[in-house]
Amino acid sequence: MNKEIPIIVMNKICKSFPLAIGGIQQVLFDITFTINSGEFVAIMGPSGSGKSTCMNIVGALDSASSGTYELYGKDITMMTGDELAVVRNEYIGFIFQNFNLLPKRTIIDNVMLPLMYRGFVMEDRIRRAREMLRLVGLENFETYFPTQLSGGMKQRVAIARALSGEPKLILADEPTGSLDSKMGTEILRFFEKLNKDFGITIIMITHEFEIAQFAKRLIHIYDGRITYDGAIPKSETTLLKTEKRHKK
Amino acid sequence: MTLYDILKESWISISGNKLRSFLTVLGIIIGVMAVVIMVAVGETVQKSITDQFSSLGTNTIVVRAGAARNRGVRTGNRQTLTITDTDQIKRLSDVMYITPAQMGTAQVIYGNKNWSTMLLGAYPDYLSIQDIEMEYGAPFDMNAVKNASAYAIIGPDTAYELGLPDNPVGEFIRIQHIPFVVVGVMKARGDSAFGSQDDMIIIPITTLKKRLQGSKFPDAVTMIALKIFPDANNNVVIEQITSLLRQRHRLKDGDEDDFQITDMKQIMETMDTVTGYLKLLLIAIAAVSLLVGSIGIMNMMLVSVAERTREIGVRKAIGAQERVIIIQFLSESVMISFIGSMIGLILGVGLSQGVGRFILDYNVPFSIWPVILSISVAVVVGLASGVMPAIKAAKLNPIDSLRYE
Repeated sequence: MNKEIPIIVMNKICKSFPLAIGGIQQVLFDITFTINSGEFVAIMGPSGSGKSTCMNIVGALDSASSGTYELYGKDITMMTGDELAVVRNEYIGFIFQNFNLLPKRTIIDNVMLPLMYRGFVMEDRIRRAREMLRLVGLENFETYFPTQLSGGMKQRVAIARALSGEPKLILADEPTGSLDSKMGTEILRFFEKLNKDFGITIIMITHEFEIAQFAKRLIHIYDGRITYDGAIPKSETTLLKTEKRHKK
Repeated sequence: MTLYDILKESWISISGNKLRSFLTVLGIIIGVMAVVIMVAVGETVQKSITDQFSSLGTNTIVVRAGAARNRGVRTGNRQTLTITDTDQIKRLSDVMYITPAQMGTAQVIYGNKNWSTMLLGAYPDYLSIQDIEMEYGAPFDMNAVKNASAYAIIGPDTAYELGLPDNPVGEFIRIQHIPFVVVGVMKARGDSAFGSQDDMIIIPITTLKKRLQGSKFPDAVTMIALKIFPDANNNVVIEQITSLLRQRHRLKDGDEDDFQITDMKQIMETMDTVTGYLKLLLIAIAAVSLLVGSIGIMNMMLVSVAERTREIGVRKAIGAQERVIIIQFLSESVMISFIGSMIGLILGVGLSQGVGRFILDYNVPFSIWPVILSISVAVVVGLASGVMPAIKAAKLNPIDSLRYE
């Protein structure tokens, strides 16, 4: 029913930070893009390009200095911290580079965490968490603690946690950064599967073109500006050219 | 987030660092235990003193002499109360028993035993006022007072110290070389707040004044004690005595009284206030350790917030609102405080009751106060020590928290 409503509509988003020595530094300039339901988008850029700041705004962890941001038809630009927390809980599933699981909670407790904040009753939490653990192939590890799992398993737990609240959007920040290439590929293939088989919208932040190639669309940010937004190019050279053009 | 979730989350966090949590709880245990024990000590002292005074009855009135004054100037050490004053007061209709009283110490000899003891000159009514019962013999009568007879009623401890026979009635003792006949021995009454009540000798007031002290003012006494009928009004009698004595002492309007009147009710109220302050002082001293314990909780919670910065970031990222973070950290500090308070309460009550009953053989009063106090402490200390760390945690920026190493 909501197929027509875009997941994300960013319009001329700018972000600046005050500097310790006085004045301000602008890190994002007129960022404008739309992401529709079912897309798998990679946001790519070198270190310091502003992609993390962009991700923070997309993930409703930070507010823009100017411009408008609509998440699933809702303008969240001027929302308070607590309102943004509710938005994150209902619409976004986070996957972090270093997993960010709670070490003293069991695997199932970690997966149930977003559901607890959403006010689900315990039976529903357990049922949903078990479904998600089955989806990521960890149904036999629910009573384990994160320290007892390998990196790849931890990231699969993080994916289960992100999916447990049935978010509109999965936001993955360098999801393979802490994994070896084999594990990393396994996780990226799983993302592909989630996107293809379940129609889950995924935004993945990365600085590596090889990883970005798993996505279907690429937004390249350089020096706080979008220099490329389209299908995955055949080689990274295309992106480097856009950077050069921007420099000129 | 349900109450179960809050308690579970708090318990996991607290039990996740057992040694640190135990040491923090220990601070509260010691603090609450100290307060509970001090409350018990204070109440025991208060009860013991109140019991002793109330055994005398609230219908006892004491008139004490002041120094003689002339136009506001103290003119000497002469005592202003007299035996004649006593006899005049005795005529008031509400007076049941009355006695003048003068105290002193005396060297007493029996055989080759020599003992220094308290000597009290009084009327035989003194025994009725003080509810003193006789173990042997009988009190001297008013004839003995009239004749300044050398009769003595002795306390059981004095009899023991002097090596008197079991029933010493009829024996002679020497008080300042004057032979006295022992006419009676008091029943043991134990110690009072002012010392032993069993080591004393009571003789007729006139004997004390005339034969032992050889006073220039044989009529002057330091004190008059009286007991009024139970249905009489203390204040009315006090007013009557005041009026009578002012008239007898020829005090003009505006002159200060040259005597002081206190009734047992006032004394009990004063003692109650004094022991109340004592109790407060003890609690205040014990509360310092409780304060130190609560600082311990705050310290632990601040360390916990710093250690769990990333966890707070994760929780906020996946949807925890500020109030949820505040509730979580507050519940942790309240839980620590609650556990400590309950253990402290149990240990405090157990120790005070146990020591009282089995070591001191005294029935320590059990009060509901320590229970109310402990629960209040648990909530107040927990909230007070947790509020700053909780707000600090809630205000953490999720982005900075997630980056925290």
